[in-house]
Amino acid sequence: MQEIVRTRMAPGRAEIVKIIPETPDTKTFYFKVHEGLVEAPKPGQFTEIYVPGVGEAPVSICGLEGNGILVQTVRSVGALTDYLFKMHEGDLIGIRGPYGKGWPTEKLTGRDVLIVAGGIGLAPLRGIILEVEKNRGKYGKLTILYGARTPSLLLYRYEFDRYREIPNTEFLLTVDHPDETWRDHVGVVTELIPMAKINVEKTIALVCGPEIMMRFTVKALEQIGFKENQIYLSLERRMKCGIGLCGHCQVGPYFVCRHGPVFPYWLIKKYFWVDEI
Amino acid sequence: MFRGSVYSGVEDDLKSLFNIVVSRGYRVIGPKLVDSVIRLERLHDFNEIPYGYEDKQAPGYYRVVNNGGRFRHGPDSPKRFLYPPELLLFIIRPNLSIEYPRFEFAKTALFGIKPCDLAAINVMDGVQGELGDEYYQKVRENLLLIVENCVEPGGTCFCATMGTGPFAFKGFDIAYTRIGNGAVIFQPGSDLGVDILSELGLRPAEDEQVDRLRSLMMEASKKARAEFTLENLPETLEMGLDSEVYRKIAEKCLGCANCNMVCPTCFCFDVLDEPELDGSAKRVRIWDGCHSYSYAQVAGGHFRKSLYARYRHWVLHKFVYWLRQFGTFGCVGCGRCITWCPAGIDLRQVVRDVVREVETRCRR
Repeated sequence: MQEIVRTRMAPGRAEIVKIIPETPDTKTFYFKVHEGLVEAPKPGQFTEIYVPGVGEAPVSICGLEGNGILVQTVRSVGALTDYLFKMHEGDLIGIRGPYGKGWPTEKLTGRDVLIVAGGIGLAPLRGIILEVEKNRGKYGKLTILYGARTPSLLLYRYEFDRYREIPNTEFLLTVDHPDETWRDHVGVVTELIPMAKINVEKTIALVCGPEIMMRFTVKALEQIGFKENQIYLSLERRMKCGIGLCGHCQVGPYFVCRHGPVFPYWLIKKYFWVDEI
Repeated sequence: MFRGSVYSGVEDDLKSLFNIVVSRGYRVIGPKLVDSVIRLERLHDFNEIPYGYEDKQAPGYYRVVNNGGRFRHGPDSPKRFLYPPELLLFIIRPNLSIEYPRFEFAKTALFGIKPCDLAAINVMDGVQGELGDEYYQKVRENLLLIVENCVEPGGTCFCATMGTGPFAFKGFDIAYTRIGNGAVIFQPGSDLGVDILSELGLRPAEDEQVDRLRSLMMEASKKARAEFTLENLPETLEMGLDSEVYRKIAEKCLGCANCNMVCPTCFCFDVLDEPELDGSAKRVRIWDGCHSYSYAQVAGGHFRKSLYARYRHWVLHKFVYWLRQFGTFGCVGCGRCITWCPAGIDLRQVVRDVVREVETRCRR
């Protein structure tokens, strides 16, 4: 007798309803998800986006609008994302998720929130900014420290005024290479840390960016007194299956797709400083 | 007849056992000589089992000779059947509707697999029990496990070090040992095993046969050892994350992932799209290995570009991470990765050398 075998790796259907160009190689997609979500998405989690005949790629969740619309910012760096960039509003894609552990929103209640982001690393943190905006009373001071190589590589520039208007918020920007219109700081993002007013004891730091930027950020945060359990990092790895099966995303004993992508620093400390672990 | 007791028979009883299993409707998979290699293949006749052939195994070396000796295990392991190298997951249509495949799950007997491979099934059960692969579960439910204990471990075996052999103690339906002079000792390990063996008309083993079995076990255990022990092994290896040994190995290693492919527990996979002309695509799961260049590569970056790091990851996964992930070691000491390494890299020496390096460092 033949039996049907189902896998948890089959995508559901989603429609592209809006596309916002962000930077020369980045776009934000608004997906109307018809099916395929296994739970309500949380900031910092990710989905697997699929295009038939092309493949799948993990993309972090950057926000959730009403009517089940998922906001995901994508950088065009591979076969799947290149193809996605040629698609239009109204086109169908496959989607499954959300997967992994997002930012520890429950631990942020009553605390100050420090966001340190580099480049496209702001994408998974956008959801936290919007969460603080939405439930402003739940959280203390919001500090956003955001850096990119050039001004044109900053994400969500059209929303920056909105971030600044969130009460009790400090928003500092930096770039490595300014243009003639740049008025903010010039330098790496860690230089913003001493410039911001941070009440270390009250604060939880959420960090996302290139691995090297995260290493310097952790050092800088520890220097001003942050403890290991006050720092959260979102790691990037090759999360092929998203559900802890395929092995590709391991960092030490952890499957980034299942135990992360957001990790408390104390948990991954042993591996975080080892190159190519 | 009782589970766990030992019964005495002769080599002809193995043939009868084979035939009973076939008559009970099992598809039998066992050792078979194919192109000078002993593979695990579908068997239709007991005489297809190449008794009398020996496989000579050493680092990067495998030859089969017809010398009246004993064979161990070839490149195939039960993984090939439980977790096939290539498996259709689903077909997705242009409108993104999904069609799941149908498979036949026949009652299957693995006949004459070795204790290391039995242990590997146990390890895979831990992985798949945790991760819940439906295909695996369905094959697994239909397996009858008949294990041949190893009287003469091969040149790359280290099951005794890993605590997985050379004799099986649990998890099998039937275990047997060819103790020489045509005598065979049978042990039922499950109610089904008792039921099947009771058809053979075996006698309880004589005391001297049990003694012989014990001494064979002791002798075999001495042979199947590496020059390290499991004591504090994960902790020691983690102290040697930066060991020079991995860098030296990387000078020899080809990054071919042969070791991953022949490993009876390596479970990593990739999923590929096979596009069809009508716009549909097959999503196909294939084995992947952490030694291959693209394994930890992401679009726009690479997390383990250096070969030493990929080799290190493999060793640490088997002997350190696996314990935390699934509660067992990921290595069963079968030695396939040593035999089938085209560069003849000996995992036993690698682990030994890292341990020695760490110990030397600590003594300073």
